[in-house]
Amino acid sequence: MSYWYSENRPQRQFGAVFDTNKCIECQTCTLACKTTWTTGRGQEFMLWNNVETKPYGSYPLAWDLQVLSKLGPQTWEGDTYTGQTVFEAAPAGLRVLGSERQSIDYNYPNVGEDEILGKVDRGGSLSLPQEMWMFYLARICNHCTYPACLESCPRSSIYKRPEDGIVVIDQGRCRGYQECVKACPYGKVYFNPSTGTSEKCIACFPKIEQGLQPQCFVNCIGKIRLQGWVSTPDKVKEDNPIDYLVHVRKMALPLYPQFGLEPNVYYVPPVHVPDQFLFQMFGPGVTKAKEAYLNAKEDKTLKGLFALFGCTERTIPYFKIVGDYAVALDDDRREIVRVPIYEPVVVRKAQDRIYQIMRSNTT
Amino acid sequence: MKTILMILLLVLMAGCRGPIIDTQQVPAKYVAGALPTEDPASGMWDDAPEHPAKMMVQDVTEPKLIEPGVSLLKVRALHNKDWVVFRLEWDDPTQDLIPKSGSSSDAVAIQFPMRQGSDVPDPAMGEQNKGVRIWFWKSVWQDDDERKKSGKGDRISTLYPNAAPDHYPFEAEPLKKDAKAQTEAARRYAPARASGNPILVRPNSNPVQVLMAEGFGNTTPAGSQPSAGRGVWKSGKWMTTIARPLKGGDELGTLEPGKRGYIAFAIWDGAKQHTGSRKMRSGWVPFILNEQ
Ligand code: SF4
Ligand code: SF4
Ligand code: SF4
Repeated sequence: MSYWYSENRPQRQFGAVFDTNKCIECQTCTLACKTTWTTGRGQEFMLWNNVETKPYGSYPLAWDLQVLSKLGPQTWEGDTYTGQTVFEAAPAGLRVLGSERQSIDYNYPNVGEDEILGKVDRGGSLSLPQEMWMFYLARICNHCTYPACLESCPRSSIYKRPEDGIVVIDQGRCRGYQECVKACPYGKVYFNPSTGTSEKCIACFPKIEQGLQPQCFVNCIGKIRLQGWVSTPDKVKEDNPIDYLVHVRKMALPLYPQFGLEPNVYYVPPVHVPDQFLFQMFGPGVTKAKEAYLNAKEDKTLKGLFALFGCTERTIPYFKIVGDYAVALDDDRREIVRVPIYEPVVVRKAQDRIYQIMRSNTT
Repeated sequence: MKTILMILLLVLMAGCRGPIIDTQQVPAKYVAGALPTEDPASGMWDDAPEHPAKMMVQDVTEPKLIEPGVSLLKVRALHNKDWVVFRLEWDDPTQDLIPKSGSSSDAVAIQFPMRQGSDVPDPAMGEQNKGVRIWFWKSVWQDDDERKKSGKGDRISTLYPNAAPDHYPFEAEPLKKDAKAQTEAARRYAPARASGNPILVRPNSNPVQVLMAEGFGNTTPAGSQPSAGRGVWKSGKWMTTIARPLKGGDELGTLEPGKRGYIAFAIWDGAKQHTGSRKMRSGWVPFILNEQ
């Protein structure tokens, strides 16, 4: 792969795992980010965190379809991508294959929400390639290892923090060229017409610096998110929760790996969605990832690890399983919190004898 | 027969009022007294010779301009031995003021080598240790000022007159009685303002910014900003003045009457999303401040 600058990895890299199977698209994360960072003049349509329904939703409008159609054939040989990334596919005179972004593209954050299409008993009135399914895709900036936004900025106003790999735009230096807005294939840089500069997710770095997970993580209702640190494959630590899910169990996958940015937010793919669709979105690892997830209930380590999602505001760099408990550990491997892996199951009779009523369980 | 036709043509041409065209250089005409630094339509321009500057796509550094923009910039100049003012005229079918996603501000700039003389730096933003100084006019800065003076709304209410945002924290009830606290709260959600970004936090309401550069990607505002200018867009045409003092000192360089120097130009079309290096530019054009 060709990148404008030479490889330069940070001391440690911000990483995250999102479990798509648990997201309910409540948008609490979106609001958590919005109320924390983007309620200013000019930030009205700016959602650093957004959640869209796939296959029909997208914010900004058609962000993924634009790149996918421009990128040309995206071929894989086994686990190796043999097509072009957005860097090789850059048109002459530009550093990266960009997308068109108009201000109207940001006006419909809920387009396609909850839309499904599928087979109904006597046949649908129209037919589309998708089966009856949909899923929610929560998105923040991926704080990429090879950030297209950073590469595209001709005045080097964007930098990757050496201490944590978080990608930020220097708001004092940006001159509002919007190169990054066009260059990020994930559509995760936004132009602020009030200040004339471009802005993006900062991974809540003031919290990260205090050892706390970002706002959109700790406020997640579905507890689908875990923030930590992701290692390169040669430096994997088995007791690092992100490494464990990404490298050891290979069940959390990067979003559109073929773009070539090495995004650092990893997704557990939705188990009910056809592989054919997911291949394109998460690469060839989806079948195995889904399988591992479906078997997680038999697997104490996995089950325990997922129980740690959303259980503390602290960042969880390490974890261990002790008996029937999953234990979150800090950088010095001291205990932060422990949670039971198995919750007590109570089977309630349908008839309540005391109140003489019938109950039905709806969940 | 041919000679007669030529004479006839010359007589006819002399009858039409039009500027003297100087294709070789930009000659600044000397006038005593005040210059029309903010009046591109002033009658004083009528007697100034005009240089038709050829504009070309910026294709030296990425991001390059792929689709060519306007190829001609008409330049006139006047000076009074203290200041020189340029009037720049170019075609632009749309007036683009406030930048938003997918469009930017119309803009124009003049550039001088830091040190006048024949050993000029690269016309594309200069070189290391051979810097250039740029006077950059941007339509949105002028528009900000005009809207403010005429009591019109800010950029957002101008772009989206029908928008009805629910709430901004700086509009919270307890802050309403305390202007200072309110400004502070608004600043907190405008990081570019809070960090003093020079495209936003400007020393005056002047739509021209003085910049220094030594190559690509390092353009920086100069410590002092002596400049003036104003653009008028009418019927698909911008006419913009940009003025600078002749004596710019150690930081901005000096222009001397009677001595030949160099100047270069650049134009940005907001509708085509020209920004930064995506621009039409010229090479160095000889430039002289006439003594009479
Ligand atoms: S808060 Fe969590 S569950 Fe709700 S939409 Fe966001 S990611 Fe999904
Ligand atoms: S997701 Fe986009 S904005 Fe974020 S680091 Fe990657 S390229 Fe930059
Ligand atoms: S990490 Fe922080 S800044 Fe980024 S989307 Fe989440 S809440 Fe917003």
